Amino acid sequence: MKKHDVILVAVIIFMVLTGFGGLKVYQRQNEKEPRFAVITQDNVLVERIDLNAVEEPREIILPGPYHEILRVEKGRIRFKEADCPDRICVRRGWLQNPGEIAVCLPNKAVVRITGD
Amino acid sequence: MGLAENMTSTKKLALIAILAAQASVLHFLESMFPNPLPLPGVKLGLANIITLLALIVLDFKTALQITVLRTIFGSLLSGTLFGIGFFMSFSGAVTATFVMALLLRLFRGCGIVGVSIAGAAAHNLGQLVMAALIIQFAGIFFYLPFMLLFSVPTGFLTGLLTRELVKHIKAAKGCLTGGQGKI
Repeated sequence: MKKHDVILVAVIIFMVLTGFGGLKVYQRQNEKEPRFAVITQDNVLVERIDLNAVEEPREIILPGPYHEILRVEKGRIRFKEADCPDRICVRRGWLQNPGEIAVCLPNKAVVRITGD
Repeated sequence: MGLAENMTSTKKLALIAILAAQASVLHFLESMFPNPLPLPGVKLGLANIITLLALIVLDFKTALQITVLRTIFGSLLSGTLFGIGFFMSFSGAVTATFVMALLLRLFRGCGIVGVSIAGAAAHNLGQLVMAALIIQFAGIFFYLPFMLLFSVPTGFLTGLLTRELVKHIKAAKGCLTGGQGKI
């Protein structure tokens, strides 16, 4: 590793830390706000859910080239089942904090948590 | 740079074909490994070794040709051609080639390992830009810090491998260039 290599790595680490820092700040600002889950597919809004108002857990089936089921519970949401190749969306697990997202690229589905 | 300066065009063509084939196989092999992380597109980037090698041993234009060929052939082998994964690989690999070429040309102070790490980071960035365009959602850059974090160890590893390769190829320079009677 030469000197310039170390600088390069330092720049990348700085970008990583800035990214994490920005996310933390966003989450702190929205800590006490009501939380919404916004589900979009193909850039079209499927549903917007007030997560704090969810009483009964329920499931949402997403259309598209792949079969996907979302599970909504009080204060949190996740991809429960998917038959897409990587299943990255399912392994992402529960989303509950503002700023967190789960994406299924093959199905062009996005679930994100917002504070407003 | 440019071990290939006084190489005949036939020899160069053969070398391009060999490197493109090797990169395609690496690309394909890597797509067989399940991704252990809940992050899209995090992998070792073994095929990037060949791109970087071509940038050092050959030139930018040839390296870009090899990279474009391997994303097409690699995806063809793994059956993902013209799927979302293909477009992400393509965009990432081309971005990485440009960034690594730029670093090799402009910042001579960078070693092969540093260039490789920057290439890995650029690959992730290019991938995410393409993903954001496909799903029309900029929030996917949420994944960027995580992916950049992983680009440091993966780029470091592939950089080390490339450095060793270049060392051995330079030692065997005769067989690449003039080398009458040799391979």
